[in-house]
Amino acid sequence: MNLLVWRLHRNQVRFAALALAVLAVILLVTGSVMAHDYDRALADCRASQSCADLGSQLFRGDGMIIDLVNLTVVVPLLFGLFWGAPLLAKELEDGTHNLVWTQSVPRRRWFTSTVGWALAAAALWGGAMAALVSWWRYPENALDSRFAAFDIQGIVPVAYALFAVALGIAIGSVARRVLPALAVTIATFLAVRVPIAVYLRPHFLTPVRATTSLASSGLGPPGSWLLSQSLVGPGGATTGNLFSVTPVCTTTGFASKGLIGSCLAHHGYRMTVTYQPAVRFWAFQGIEAGIFVILAALLVVFAFRWTLHRDA
Amino acid sequence: MTRLGSLAPSPPSSAVETAGLGKRFGKLWALQDCSVRVPRGRVVALVGPNGAGKTTLLRMLAGLSRPTTGEARILGRRPEQSEEFLSTIGYLAQDVPLYRRMTARQHVEVGAGLNRRWEGEAAIARLEALRVPTDRPVSTLSGGQRAQVALGLALAKRPAVLLLDEPVAALDPLARREFLAALAGAVAEDEVSVVLSSHLVHDLERVCDFVILLSASRVQLCADIEEILDTHRFLVGPRRPAAEIERAMDAVSVTQTARQSRVLVRTDGPIADPSWQVSEVGLEDVILAYMGRDADGVEQQTVGLGATA
Repeated sequence: MNLLVWRLHRNQVRFAALALAVLAVILLVTGSVMAHDYDRALADCRASQSCADLGSQLFRGDGMIIDLVNLTVVVPLLFGLFWGAPLLAKELEDGTHNLVWTQSVPRRRWFTSTVGWALAAAALWGGAMAALVSWWRYPENALDSRFAAFDIQGIVPVAYALFAVALGIAIGSVARRVLPALAVTIATFLAVRVPIAVYLRPHFLTPVRATTSLASSGLGPPGSWLLSQSLVGPGGATTGNLFSVTPVCTTTGFASKGLIGSCLAHHGYRMTVTYQPAVRFWAFQGIEAGIFVILAALLVVFAFRWTLHRDA
Repeated sequence: MTRLGSLAPSPPSSAVETAGLGKRFGKLWALQDCSVRVPRGRVVALVGPNGAGKTTLLRMLAGLSRPTTGEARILGRRPEQSEEFLSTIGYLAQDVPLYRRMTARQHVEVGAGLNRRWEGEAAIARLEALRVPTDRPVSTLSGGQRAQVALGLALAKRPAVLLLDEPVAALDPLARREFLAALAGAVAEDEVSVVLSSHLVHDLERVCDFVILLSASRVQLCADIEEILDTHRFLVGPRRPAAEIERAMDAVSVTQTARQSRVLVRTDGPIADPSWQVSEVGLEDVILAYMGRDADGVEQQTVGLGATA
């Protein structure tokens, strides 16, 4: 059984291994340079007690490499398209299910083996990629919020990969043709993934609400995920954005933002913010990964029942 | 044919047995009330026009499709997803599915991992004897060679019952003959029972000794070929009304011309009426006559003057 799985999918595995190796080389080389620079700069600034400005002084990665890293967000979908959707759909489309399902291995075991390997590969590749990106982003994670790159590091890429592959498998088993399965997989993946990231994720845990002074720089504690901000006037009422109230302070032409901040603070303006604290990063990773792993499991169970109980 | 909901545990003497077997797709019945019994060791020709339900029957026998009504048994065993059942059958689907990019040898290697009983080397040897390239992707082989590879794979399981769905339909006459010769050789060696579907009756006569005829999704005929030839006769005589003919004998088809009535009749004894000219029948004649019948009736055809039947 395992020999069959390997024979049919070895080219995909080889290609994926090659792609991962290329990504690994690029990230390991650039990442170790950046990590080294960051560590040295950190030591320097600690000596001179000027670390507040560290981020703006450092080279934080080549634009193309950053783009490449950010592009890993689509890799789970690619797993779903190249590994998931064709897995059953190609057999059903070519009619080879008639060949393999009349060998002595019952369909149940064929399914477990084939789908099991696909899911294992998705988890392995997703995990390797996420580990590389998490490591590469070490300086960036220290300087900026890890929430800024929530989708490409930690454990969620593994869950996305499992979900994408399970989704492709389930859709392929119903569609029985590769091309429609691909189209529906893309659409469904985005229809699930985007709303959860945009609308659901900010509310996994109740956001923290805080009032900050306009004189201080930065909104919310460092590393936190800022969800909303609003300007509160001297009377305690929300007063729209910063620009609508600046005339209070800009009596004499242009003033820099910091000065305006101090000026507005002096006039009794404050900023209310809601945010998710940095310490919640792993809790959020766990919640989001849990959602996608459960969805993946449900899809696999569906595909299993559909494949076994429906006429071939 | 009796309509039965289920079968008593059948003696393993019958290779294939079905009772009231039916399959409905949506509102259409692909196969209805199919009750057949085929003894072991027979090579069965499953014949009928396209859409008669041949593929549906074979798929249900192979456990790929579930019956809507009735049940089927292969060597007394219900088709199911178990190793015990699956290892008793060899199945070759209609379009001869193989993994396009894999070679025949790779198929054989993979098959070893999918079957406890597997005669891979014999399969390769047989293919090499037929000069089928075993180290080229099967997509580069001819249709006849692919069919030989698929047959080789089905035989390598050493099945007790071999189910072949139109394996020769797409082949040229030479490849067809080679395929049937390979099949006949394997049958002689292994005492395997075979059900072979085709709409090309002529080819089957050489290798088969039993016929199941499906037409309009029903079984029209299920019998030993010799018995069929013994019990059917062609009668030609002066024209008489069809109703009278049908009253007098078990007519399968009646063809009327201006002066003559031609009747294909099922009979156990000699024909008593001396006004009939009696001749023996060929398998193809009988099959075509039964195919032409509507559900239960007699095929009636009136041929005008000058027209040919």
